[in-house]
Amino acid sequence: MTPDEISQRLGSLRDAGQRLKRRSLADLLGVLGAVLDTWRDPNSQWRRELEAELPATTGFGTPLIQRGLEHALAGWTSRALSDLATRELGAVGEHEAAPRHETARLRMAAGFDTTAVVLAGAIPMPTLLSLIAPLILRSAVLAKPASRDPVTPRLVACSIAEADAELGSCIDLAPFDGNDTACIRSLLRADCVYATGSDATIAALRSLARPGQRLVADGHRVSLAAVATPSRENSVTDLAERLALDIALWNQLGCLSPIIVFAVGDEPSGAEALAEDLARELQRAEKMWPRGAVDAAAGRDIARERAEAELRSAAGRRVVVHCSDSTAWTVVLEADAELRPAPLHRFIRVVPVNDQAALLSAMRPLGGQLAAVALEGFGDRADSLGRAMLELGASRVCRPGCLQSPPLSWPRGGRAVLLPLARLGDLER
Amino acid sequence: MSGDPGRSEIDGRVLAWMREPEWNYDEARFEQLALELFAFQFEHCEVFRRFCEGRGQTPSTIEGWRRIPAVPAGAFKEVELRSFPSEATTHRFRTSGTSTSVRGTLHLDTLELYEASLLPTFRRFVFPEMTTPLDRAAIRVLAPPPDQEPDSSLSHMFGVALAELGAAGSSFDVDDGVLQVDLLLTSLVESAASESPVALCGTAFAFVHLIDHLVRRGVLVGLPPASRVMETGGFKGRSREMPPAALYAELKRVLGIPAERIVNQYGMTELGSQFYDSVLRAPSEPRRKLGPPWARVVIIDPDTGHEAATGHVGTIVVIDLANTGSVLALQTGDLGRAVLDGFEVVGRGPGAEERGCSIAADELLGREFP
Repeated sequence: MTPDEISQRLGSLRDAGQRLKRRSLADLLGVLGAVLDTWRDPNSQWRRELEAELPATTGFGTPLIQRGLEHALAGWTSRALSDLATRELGAVGEHEAAPRHETARLRMAAGFDTTAVVLAGAIPMPTLLSLIAPLILRSAVLAKPASRDPVTPRLVACSIAEADAELGSCIDLAPFDGNDTACIRSLLRADCVYATGSDATIAALRSLARPGQRLVADGHRVSLAAVATPSRENSVTDLAERLALDIALWNQLGCLSPIIVFAVGDEPSGAEALAEDLARELQRAEKMWPRGAVDAAAGRDIARERAEAELRSAAGRRVVVHCSDSTAWTVVLEADAELRPAPLHRFIRVVPVNDQAALLSAMRPLGGQLAAVALEGFGDRADSLGRAMLELGASRVCRPGCLQSPPLSWPRGGRAVLLPLARLGDLER
Repeated sequence: MSGDPGRSEIDGRVLAWMREPEWNYDEARFEQLALELFAFQFEHCEVFRRFCEGRGQTPSTIEGWRRIPAVPAGAFKEVELRSFPSEATTHRFRTSGTSTSVRGTLHLDTLELYEASLLPTFRRFVFPEMTTPLDRAAIRVLAPPPDQEPDSSLSHMFGVALAELGAAGSSFDVDDGVLQVDLLLTSLVESAASESPVALCGTAFAFVHLIDHLVRRGVLVGLPPASRVMETGGFKGRSREMPPAALYAELKRVLGIPAERIVNQYGMTELGSQFYDSVLRAPSEPRRKLGPPWARVVIIDPDTGHEAATGHVGTIVVIDLANTGSVLALQTGDLGRAVLDGFEVVGRGPGAEERGCSIAADELLGREFP
């Protein structure tokens, strides 16, 4: 696609978006809620097409995609979408006639005429939400698909068009090479930009954006798990199963994938048992939802980190490597809390720490990059520990097994979902 | 040479190979020496022994040198890998790293093999026209001298090369961490005027520094046709990066040295031997990395741990007989593929921490360019 073509598409979307302004929020939520319901249906045309086409571009196997979608979309209902809009924009219905009252003011939340959405990665759910969020705000969308996933945005756009042709005319795609600065400049002529991607991508976009242009960005993040380890005699198999699900889904390529499980407790056997249980469950996950092939660089990183762990073990440290014959999954029980590389692709480190103070100390260096933390086993300390995680920088604390199914309203990056894409204004009386 | 009789015996045979005037890639000889060295290191380096046992490989069960377990280069940051008593340590070379990262250490009880390996290899691939040990060439080194950077294997290598192969006027052009641009430029202009070829050696980042200086001054130097560049290393942690193709284009534009006379060296602190681009040695053949007979490269499929199919990309593993004091099998952080009798580096991944020893030198240069 050329810069001129992108400009033309933006122009067309700007025109189409004007018709969108006349439609009510309740109407749009009804259509987009129905679209979500369609996506939740495993037998829908869109789900079937996605499951058929996504493996070729992402490397994810079909069973993994099916399990990941089923798990993540279960809570993404039309009701949840309405609740999200209500929470952030005010009560649906009231919003139209009398937007959210705040004492003697009327607060208006209006979408920009056009929103450019720069997509990243290969996981369908963030793409789905990134595309419908501006539409809720009556902003037309021009999306640049991620190189690894040209499939999801196309199918989401088609599903919207099928549900509502007029709404479908307000979303279009602009596939181009991410290094093409001229195309990026054209895309950035949109009124608002919502981008996900690496820190380098975000920095490049910021450098090209107009002064004062609304640019909402989600950079790379990591997630963690922390569990109070029971003794070996009372190991919780169900816990390892749920953690394995968090690790296996999307092969740790999403920001909600844990890269470290902190085993909190002063009994070493607890961490050892957890590592063994995790290994068994990841082996089971491999049978149910095979990871699939990885590129040579990913394989090299896994092999290197395994070998380095083996050497630490050979040097007498209490390090244990559990792994498959191939690079399909790896569990490394570490002897210390030093931060080490995360090769991803189902490579997890179990890091023993003695107590909560040591846990927070170990997590602190990751505070600025934290997305979510899964907590379990802390009893009546769970609430205060969860608050500490939020203060550290996490935007979500949940139970193991739930990391990959965030609610629609999850404040990713510590922000609201819809409001950052809107212009707010007060009408004072 | 080492005080251990068994090690001295192996060292002696490896040194004899290194000192032979003609290179002979004798597979049986390499196999014999590699397995003997493996057995020695298995016995004398406890960490390596346990590592190999964990991999199910011992001197009595191993099925050839290609199966010797390779230690990841990054391990030198966390464990001491030496096959001699710690009190026998005479030198320590440190790997590159940023101010926030841990640097690995290579412990050595002798530099004899290191130097015996580097010289004939350097001469063969950077100065293939040298036919006698007395031949010399003008060499300018864009790196600190070894007395200013004693823990840099790169500076040590350049020091040896300069002392043994450098003609009058050869010198280091980094002093106290600062590239001596004026002195170097004067020398380069004289070389151009007198049609005297010069060999410029240094890290890729040092050449970027030099190019930036010359461009700022609006200076283009047309060095004589027989001049050459030997560059090594990447840009880890540097604020300014330049892809190799762009660097080579700039070297041609600013210094007049075309790509076919630019040799990339592939080496790292943890290795006693180095590999070089074939361009000067075999100019009519595809560019590839070649090394000496006593160091071999195997491309490993990381998913299987076995040798990758011909032409497929895998992890570069080096088996280096010059590494008698540490471990002979090293798993690099780089990907590569076999090309004819050599290999090519496919690209140093963003996760790779081992990038040769160039960055330590670059850090010093970086002082001038915050």
